[in-house]
Amino acid sequence: MKTTPLFALAVIAAATAAAAPAPNTVGAPGKHAQDTCTACHLALDDQRLNTPAKLAEHDIHHNQGVTCAGCHGGDPTSEDATVAMDPARGFKGKFDRQAIPEMCGSCHSDAAFMLRYSPNIPTDQLSQYRTSKHGQALGKGDTNVAVCSSCPGAHGVFQVSDARSPVYPTHIVDTCGRCHADAALMGKYGIKGTEVAEYKQSIHYAALVNKNDLSAPTCKSCHGSHGATPPGVSSVSNVCGTCHVSQRERFDLSPHKDAFAALSQPACESCHSNHAIVHPLDSWIGVGPNQKCGDCHSAGDPGAAAAGTISSALAGASAALSTVQKRVDLVRRAGMLMDEADVKLEDAHQAYIMAQVEIHTVTPSRVEEKTKAVLAGTAAADKLAADAEAEIRYRRAGLFISLCVIALAMVALILKVRSIER
Amino acid sequence: MRILESLWKTLDERLELAPLVEFAEHKVVPQHRHSWAYYFGGLTLFFFMVQVATGILLLLYYRPTAEAAFESVQFIVTRVPFGWLIRSIHSWSANLMILSAFAHMFSVYLLGSYAKPRELTWWSGFLLLLLAMGFGFSGYLLPWNELAFFATRVGTDMVSKVPFIGGWLLKFLRGGEDVTGATLTRFFGFHVAVLPMITTMLIAAHLAFIQRQGMHVPETLEEEAKARKPIRFVPNFMMREGIVWLAGLAALAALAAFFPWELGNKADPFASAPAGIKPEWYFLFMFEALKLLPAHVLGIEGELVGLGAFSLAGLIWFLVPVLDRGSRLGHRSRAFLALGWLALAYIVVFTLASLAGVLK
Repeated sequence: MKTTPLFALAVIAAATAAAAPAPNTVGAPGKHAQDTCTACHLALDDQRLNTPAKLAEHDIHHNQGVTCAGCHGGDPTSEDATVAMDPARGFKGKFDRQAIPEMCGSCHSDAAFMLRYSPNIPTDQLSQYRTSKHGQALGKGDTNVAVCSSCPGAHGVFQVSDARSPVYPTHIVDTCGRCHADAALMGKYGIKGTEVAEYKQSIHYAALVNKNDLSAPTCKSCHGSHGATPPGVSSVSNVCGTCHVSQRERFDLSPHKDAFAALSQPACESCHSNHAIVHPLDSWIGVGPNQKCGDCHSAGDPGAAAAGTISSALAGASAALSTVQKRVDLVRRAGMLMDEADVKLEDAHQAYIMAQVEIHTVTPSRVEEKTKAVLAGTAAADKLAADAEAEIRYRRAGLFISLCVIALAMVALILKVRSIER
Repeated sequence: MRILESLWKTLDERLELAPLVEFAEHKVVPQHRHSWAYYFGGLTLFFFMVQVATGILLLLYYRPTAEAAFESVQFIVTRVPFGWLIRSIHSWSANLMILSAFAHMFSVYLLGSYAKPRELTWWSGFLLLLLAMGFGFSGYLLPWNELAFFATRVGTDMVSKVPFIGGWLLKFLRGGEDVTGATLTRFFGFHVAVLPMITTMLIAAHLAFIQRQGMHVPETLEEEAKARKPIRFVPNFMMREGIVWLAGLAALAALAAFFPWELGNKADPFASAPAGIKPEWYFLFMFEALKLLPAHVLGIEGELVGLGAFSLAGLIWFLVPVLDRGSRLGHRSRAFLALGWLALAYIVVFTLASLAGVLK
């Protein structure tokens, strides 16, 4: 797509128009805006014109004293529509889509202005947007792409932390999906359009919606929000490593790092995929059918041998954990307190997780070091379970002897009663 | 033997014990087809004595503070030699004591033994049952575990419904607005000092009334009792009671060994209440009935109506020796007999239905 001189002029015009709002259009922060715009527009029958006024009721800007004129210009104090919407008084009316980022940026990029509302509020949204795929396409005149109003909304904007906001963690997937789940639209950009559906199959989405874990990654966690762009091959491990720090550190130590870079192959994505990330399984390790290592390695090569050693170590640790856990549970059901064994098993479980993290080094000795810790923990728990089983046997033997003594005493009493009542 | 004879002679010279021995030698227990019912009172007393003995042993290690209570019970059941057995017997014996007390009360009621001149025995027994339930309610909280904490919160909350003094009563029981360490300390005081003192005095009175008046024979069984030779209290009845106590001890040992009382998780006042909170089984018949009541009955809060109804029913039960006028003349009313069976059926059905999870 070519940038036309006309469009360049429009951008320049918009940029020129973008300046901090006139003083009479912005009230005190924290105080709901008072203007004649909403009063008149609420009375209009045309839904297109009264809806923005209705939405202003809970709009973050209005709640912070910014009147309609703060964005649209004009005189928000005049009850005369011709005065209030007089271009001579700066009235701009409905914005051209290409002018929206600059218009929003006129305040949101003004650090001094935004400081009024919060000392830590970011002011780099516009510069980020310009670097994004959306911003770059808009710059080339493509008005199909997202602008500021596409995601948080134009009127009735909520704070990001407000659960009603379309960009709240639990909603943002569907907000992005409004465009990105449209395969026909996405086809124009060489995007499959299945990413949202794939993401919804992932462990990340499950954590978000099933566990209500708001820290679970959503679209913006990996792609960015205002600066939305796909992470490149070289930066995938950095993106995933933002949360999966230990795995990234191990990966960086592994021979895979240089090998993947040489092959221009993405790091994490090669084994875990990107959007449809599911819970990884130990059974993935190996060169057999449906095993990940087999994508690059084949039986007999050193990589396959390392995978086999790692797989065996993990299988042994996993089996020990499962067996001892069952034994401890059985003893617990018999009424024994197994708190100490639980602690040992928890330690073993932690070591097992660390062994799984060490997989990313693809170094068998590092994985085996952790699986040995697993086996030490399970052995300790197993001994406690065995001790508890011995205690149960001791108690039951004691009970049997006690019951025999009681029964003997009862028989003796019965015989005595019979003899004296005869 | 000479030492015993000499000791007896010494005591008799000083305390004139011979009349007591003579009383015991001549005391007899009537025999009829329902004389099995006479053993429940003694069995309840046996479980109470077990409670006292095991309770004293638990006191050696138990610490009544919110910070240490759970850990001290955990220490008792894991580290103290036979601590698990003592704690488990204490818990099981508490439940068997209340079960035995209920059996005793209903057998006395259904055989009409509350009638004149045994009103005082009935009333003291009724109060003893309430005290036993008070023991259960206060003791339930002492391990400071999750279930006990929230059940106590629900249980104490009910007293706030009492008109006029509900708010004050709630604060008195809890030692504040909510169930806290102050409640635990308070319940511990009730459980090991206040309730045992009152209970011991009432048991002494209850036993004195029984010894003074002898066993009651229902009017329908008088002929049978006359026809059969009564048994001597000492030693025959005492030996028979001994057999029942031994059976009770065997049941306790088996339950404690095979089903050690669970400790659960430590109470966390800031956690949300776990699902399916229920009180001890002997409160279930009231708990489930209160749950079935609508939010409001004739404009009055449903729970208040329910608690009022239970209070009234308890009062009627207490006053039955007075209300059942015919019983004073030896002709008990069929209506009160039917009421007894009805009450028993209601308690059994609601308790079992609740335990089976039928009532949601």
